[in-house]
Amino acid sequence: MLQRSGTGFGALALQALLAREARGGIQAPPLPGTAKRVIFLFMHGGPSTVDLFDPKPLLSRDNGKPFPLESPRITSHKSENLLLQSPWSCRQHGQSGAQVCDLLPKIAAIADDLCFVKSMHCSNSRHGGALLELHTGSDTFTRPSMGSWINYGLGSENDNLPGFITINPSGSHGGAGAWSSAFLPAKFSGTRISGEGASMKVPFIDNPLHDQTKQRKELDLLASFNREHLAQRGADSELESRIASYELAFKMQMEVPGVQDISNEPEHIKKLYGADVDPTKSFGEQCLMARRFSEAGVRFVQVTHRYWDSHGNLKRDHEKLSAEMDKPVAGLISDLKQRGLLDETLVLWGGEFGRTPTAQGKDGRDHNPHGFTMFMAGGGIKAGTVYGSTDDYGYYAEDQPVHFHDLHATILHLMGIDHLEFTYRYAGRDFRLTDVAGKVVSDIIA
Amino acid sequence: MNEVIFRRIIGCLGIATGLLPGADDGWAYAPVQNPDLPTVRNTQWAREDLDRFVLAGIEEGGYSPSEVAEKRTLVRRAYLDLHGLPPSIEQISSFLNDERDDAWERLVDDLLESPRYGERWGRHWLDVARYSDTNGMDEDIAHPSAWRYRDYVIGSFNEDQPFDRFIVEQLAGDLLPAKDLADRRAKTVGLGFLSVGPKMLACDDPDKMRRDIVDEQMDTMGRAFLGMTIGCARCHDHKIDPISIEDYYGLAGIFMSTKTLTKYSVVAEFHEHDLTEEGDQKKWAEVNRLEAVKSKKETPKEEKSRLGQEIAELKKGLPEPFKVMGVTEYPAQNVQVHLRGDYLTLGEEVPRGVPSAWTKGKSVAMPGAQSGRLELARWITSGENPLTSRVIVNRLWRWHFGRGIVPTPDNFGGLGELPTHPELLDHLARKFVESGWSVKAMHRLMMNSATYRQSARADLALLEYDPENKLFARWQRRRVEAEVVRDSILLKSKRLDLTMGGSMLVAQSSKYVDRGQLHAHSLVPRRTVYLPVYRSSGYDGQKAFDAADPAVSDGNRRTSTVAGQALYLMNSELVHESSKALANFVMSQETEERASWLIEHLLGREATEEECLRCEAFVSGYGDEVEAWAAFSRVLFSSNEFLYVE
Repeated sequence: MLQRSGTGFGALALQALLAREARGGIQAPPLPGTAKRVIFLFMHGGPSTVDLFDPKPLLSRDNGKPFPLESPRITSHKSENLLLQSPWSCRQHGQSGAQVCDLLPKIAAIADDLCFVKSMHCSNSRHGGALLELHTGSDTFTRPSMGSWINYGLGSENDNLPGFITINPSGSHGGAGAWSSAFLPAKFSGTRISGEGASMKVPFIDNPLHDQTKQRKELDLLASFNREHLAQRGADSELESRIASYELAFKMQMEVPGVQDISNEPEHIKKLYGADVDPTKSFGEQCLMARRFSEAGVRFVQVTHRYWDSHGNLKRDHEKLSAEMDKPVAGLISDLKQRGLLDETLVLWGGEFGRTPTAQGKDGRDHNPHGFTMFMAGGGIKAGTVYGSTDDYGYYAEDQPVHFHDLHATILHLMGIDHLEFTYRYAGRDFRLTDVAGKVVSDIIA
Repeated sequence: MNEVIFRRIIGCLGIATGLLPGADDGWAYAPVQNPDLPTVRNTQWAREDLDRFVLAGIEEGGYSPSEVAEKRTLVRRAYLDLHGLPPSIEQISSFLNDERDDAWERLVDDLLESPRYGERWGRHWLDVARYSDTNGMDEDIAHPSAWRYRDYVIGSFNEDQPFDRFIVEQLAGDLLPAKDLADRRAKTVGLGFLSVGPKMLACDDPDKMRRDIVDEQMDTMGRAFLGMTIGCARCHDHKIDPISIEDYYGLAGIFMSTKTLTKYSVVAEFHEHDLTEEGDQKKWAEVNRLEAVKSKKETPKEEKSRLGQEIAELKKGLPEPFKVMGVTEYPAQNVQVHLRGDYLTLGEEVPRGVPSAWTKGKSVAMPGAQSGRLELARWITSGENPLTSRVIVNRLWRWHFGRGIVPTPDNFGGLGELPTHPELLDHLARKFVESGWSVKAMHRLMMNSATYRQSARADLALLEYDPENKLFARWQRRRVEAEVVRDSILLKSKRLDLTMGGSMLVAQSSKYVDRGQLHAHSLVPRRTVYLPVYRSSGYDGQKAFDAADPAVSDGNRRTSTVAGQALYLMNSELVHESSKALANFVMSQETEERASWLIEHLLGREATEEECLRCEAFVSGYGDEVEAWAAFSRVLFSSNEFLYVE
């Protein structure tokens, strides 16, 4: 029976975690982790990292010729597999000599703060599947998202704020699956903030009466009814926590809009993110908002930039998207650094996959889950690193391949969580973010 | 064996590698017993036989059951439990004034006759069936005819359709004989059960897609009816439960011979049965043909307008096509074992069949020319299978009492929990089958019991000894579910529209849904069970209150307490609109009776004088009187007394 109630070695960690969940409040990670919070800059659609970070001389030399290596068994679209050279150039930057495309001058300028993983790969060649794989570890079944897992593991740093916020996420290609807690308790689910500018809100955070005095009166009366109700029934921790939840909600209502409000940020900070002018304004504001949430103690903040799916018009669209994204991303990382927050904040940049070195039409690339680049900064990651590589044409991860499972294992490790012991029992099985796979990429950890 | 596969096996096993099947793991597969009624010391308490099993457990611990709850408490409990709606002042007083000995039994009978019952209990089943009006997952494609399945479930509960038949229709209704079109329709709508699951619809590998769909269907079927997790055996023999990899692929053969999609290439499309009247079907075919011609670029303008008229003429009085989302047959095929779950490395072919460990080695004959779904369904509901009746009565018990006799209603296997009252479970399972699988008979048994009628106010020593209420020695006070929160607020503000059935979803078959509609849907004052379920994006207010995630089968919703619930009650449009509407009714009461009426209307009890004074002070100090009553309504909507079933 002892065995039935789950005292395997995973269960000890589970119990410790559950105890923390029950305790609430500020919680120390189970192992000394370096990262306390994550900001994930998600590039929805699949940026062409073979153009942005992974230049290949052979791709230019063999432009227009058939791809000489074996093609994948499964591809998203049929094509003649003719190589397409990059319309842009990359240059080496910083001490690390990392290659960065000319489209991304601001990111290039902070190359030494970054760690490029050039050998990312995943299993699914479609947006929805790959997006869910990136966010949840599974392209087959409904699983909790990494933000939910991390919140379940570490709890909240600030009880007046949600622990997992996703700004402007994609409703398609997985939708809520990307921020859902699935079988984990609902409180670990991501809170979605959608819209543009001032209309981006946490659900139900605004009181329609816009009168806090009146609402305070309502809550006081409510508390008097609830306390009497409780007194007549004797101790009941659930009734008590519900009474407390109104006070918490009231505090959230006071605190969230302030945290979210970027209007009082000084001009030079807005400029740093490009939050002052187009084309960087919209994404810049969202990155700035992400920093404010993160700084206030939100464990996992995600910001989504879209839509990098350039099957055609690669040149036009990637130039536009790069111009929107470059400054806000570099601005965020620099700002975290100057505030002394970068060491404890892990910033992750990347899409659900990259794009093929072969052409789709004359000016487009197909999805490529087999080899692409992501980069990270802060949170205990080794700055100024280039890790792994793809083949001579940039199609397949070749040297030191890193799967999404490995990425998840590494992120958890940086937060002080052993991905092998971090489990949740559901439907008779102990589940992990990394399922049955995942290796910590120790070479990129400082 | 490569490392990943090895680890997958260990992973399925649970990280707790110490777990091995113990001697008591086979209990769920043992035949249902006919246990003797236990001897109890207190011979006065039991009302139904089931109470003796509960009482024996309580006495064994050295405790006594809790007092019977007050009539006022009981009537509210019964309404919320069976209808998911609180009673009106009149409904309460009608029960309080009924002094007949069997007043309670009559109340239960009456409540079971109302269509509100099916809406409430059908919703419980929809949790298990992971019902959704959209696909979710990677491509959020509409299920425009899935609502027929939802209405079928509600109707089946209302009509007390024998549950064995309900199961057979959900798995194989298309294979049952039908005497006419109406009968065919009735027997086909249940098939939504297999089709409405979440699927990866934009998979570049159609073989993987088919196998994943089959896996999801088998897993949901296993959990829903048998309390079994089958999925593990996709890659290896199940290490805990008796299902081998051969068993899995024998069962998979049945589902691989079943067609769920009509197109497996990106983006895939669902199969729908077209059960339109034959004459109408021809007219629709003609309409579609003419539409196609009309939409062609080269069709001259005058011709287009003539075609438009012709189409309009054809459509006059023509009923909408009767489409039903559901599976159908493929040519029957056996499948080969997929070594380590990989369909690119195939092993021996396995004949289609029901796992032999389930059938105690007896083989269930499979037809040559059919998938075998019907035979599987018949076995699931046969007397030889002890699992199904136990699983279903345990579900009903869970929904009534808040905790199953087996506390893991979706998992009766080695990694689930053991029953706290195994004999009670068998007693109920036997009664269920004897009643002809009547769910309403089970409601009567359970609700008429002394166990059900206990108060939530328990002895302190008992509370300390049994905080989880494993003994069922008291009523478990608990928060009402997400749908009940919303429906109760609408009802009490007299806004609830009780129209039944149909669909609010605006979408075409196999086309993307417009999530922009969600907000508008959420404000439609119909019962929540009729709001379209978008798998990719739930209703914020519902999610906050732990509404079931339609991506997974769930017969055991959790109840959390989070600030998001408070924010919904404090600030949502629905609550504010409702409180304003209610305030107008308050104003129509006599001035001095306003406070007491509102308290009784919402909380189902008389107000105390002190409460009325406090309320009047609040109202006079608030400002505008109508606004004040709206505010007071919100206070009561948010109160624990309103939100908990006592």
